[in-house]
Amino acid sequence: MENTNEPQQTVEPLLPNQLDMTIAQKIAYLQKLQQALHDGDDRQIYELMDPIRYARDVKKSRTTDQSADLSMLISDVHADLSHYLSGKLIDYLGQTYPFFYYDEINNGTFKIYFGNWWDRRLFGELDVLNVAFKFDEEEYDKLRQTFELAPAHKRFNSDNIDAVTAENAKLQRLIDDQSERDNQKDTLRQQLKELGSKSTLPWDSGKVKEERQTIVDKLSELADQDEAAMNANKTIKENDEKILSLSKEDTILNYEKQSIQKTFEDFTHFESHNDTLYTDYLTSLIGKGRVNAND
Amino acid sequence: MINENDPATLSASGRLLAYNDAVKTGLATGERFTKLMDQLINTTVPQELAQAASELSTFVLDSEFVTFPHQYGAADYYLLFMSRMLELHNQGDEVALVSHEGSHHLTQQIVAIADSGSFAFESANDGTGGVYYTEQLTGERVFYLNLQRQMMRINSVAITNLFVVAYAASVDEAQRLAATQLLIDFGQALKTDFGYSVDFNLLDTTNSEFYAFQNAQLSSDILDKLFVAAASEDYMLMHEGHGQAAILQLPGDVVLKLTNKPSSAPEGWGLYVQDSEQNVSWLKVLLSYDFLRQWYLDNINDLQIRSDNLVF
Repeated sequence: MENTNEPQQTVEPLLPNQLDMTIAQKIAYLQKLQQALHDGDDRQIYELMDPIRYARDVKKSRTTDQSADLSMLISDVHADLSHYLSGKLIDYLGQTYPFFYYDEINNGTFKIYFGNWWDRRLFGELDVLNVAFKFDEEEYDKLRQTFELAPAHKRFNSDNIDAVTAENAKLQRLIDDQSERDNQKDTLRQQLKELGSKSTLPWDSGKVKEERQTIVDKLSELADQDEAAMNANKTIKENDEKILSLSKEDTILNYEKQSIQKTFEDFTHFESHNDTLYTDYLTSLIGKGRVNAND
Repeated sequence: MINENDPATLSASGRLLAYNDAVKTGLATGERFTKLMDQLINTTVPQELAQAASELSTFVLDSEFVTFPHQYGAADYYLLFMSRMLELHNQGDEVALVSHEGSHHLTQQIVAIADSGSFAFESANDGTGGVYYTEQLTGERVFYLNLQRQMMRINSVAITNLFVVAYAASVDEAQRLAATQLLIDFGQALKTDFGYSVDFNLLDTTNSEFYAFQNAQLSSDILDKLFVAAASEDYMLMHEGHGQAAILQLPGDVVLKLTNKPSSAPEGWGLYVQDSEQNVSWLKVLLSYDFLRQWYLDNINDLQIRSDNLVF
């Protein structure tokens, strides 16, 4: 469309025909799309949206008419298309990935939840137009690690929980030993008193000083432990909360792992299914368009 | 016995006549009392029974000139009333009245739990004749009863403390359930015979019963704890709605639904226990599932089922 300011239309007589053809192609494209919509032929819509990928992944052919890709014509209706196409796609995914749940937060935008258990995780987004999961990397990685740890009979947070539990046991001991420390302090103070009341011979004074210092050091060490014990209850409570949230995460990851095993046996199969989702889904749609249109 | 402070100057015969009248009235009061007692002990008509108990509970037997040295307290008539109500509903042998001759009062035992508990009514001192059915050793107030206002309210705190905790070691589950069933049956009888308003609280087995938690703003931590505890017993706490409800499916088609009811009274978090036969209560669930009982008791300050706060 360059050079529009210059009167060139008479110079190149073929141009109107060319333009006419281009426009006719666009109209045909849109009409085809509209017909597919009327027919409920989602496969056709996917092909029109990305003919190159469709040819490569579904038809498995390399010969593609580049000019057939007029998908930029519909780039401003992606949200509506996504909303429309989600219906059949989510039905299909309900069969193949029974553990995923979807929440349309905006027109055509779908959040994926893993599972229907309490406090299930937000696991990413569903890319309807590309028939793909866009998993939250952090969450996905936790799940992958859960599978990796399983042969060692470990859960994702096992080590963490063990460490916090051990810390709590130590703190509890500190609390439990309070009366023993009190007794020790009494004894030490008594010793200190006796030391002070003893008449000291000049040549013993160095030794007494040393003894006194040992007792004072011991007392201050006990006082430190007393203080730690005083704060221990708060820390134990905080640690209990930590253990709860770690256990919860482990429980959720375990449910996720079991769900995947139930459907795909292992994580590798799950991943390979994800990789071929576009091809698998569109292949499943072949020949279904007209039938559904009569629903 | 003549009132010497009486400013009226009566003649001797006048005084005697007045005295005689007063004694007559006192005796008539006594006679009325024995009639009510007959009625309370012998009638087979629930309405007459209730009327006798109600009248006796506020009956003043002594008058200025006639006093009765041996008397039962108002609370004892409630106990008789309860025993007789159960008797009229063919459950008389499920309770046993124990008479304490020295102090002239009665206590009741629930046969199902034998001598684990000894119960008697105690005045609520609320000016309307309300009484608490109280376990004598622990002082636990099991329910509130008011014959005048025709209401009965079960107290979840006492039920929890006695039937979930205290009797756990000494009385088996079936017997504890039988004892609470007796309380339900008594309440049910009051409801059907007289149209009482009865709150069965955590004993209620109907599916629509919403057991409201003490803490209406339940923290998600507590639900997380249940989630983890359930998972370790191979039960899955399910998500429902948008974080405002959780479901726990138990065997026998019993469904526990924990939910936040923001728009209706009682407001806030609580739970439903639903089963097709409508014969499972929260108490039954607590007695049947260790992990749920543990969870409930560990978080009792938040989870305690709310009782009618006007009487408890």
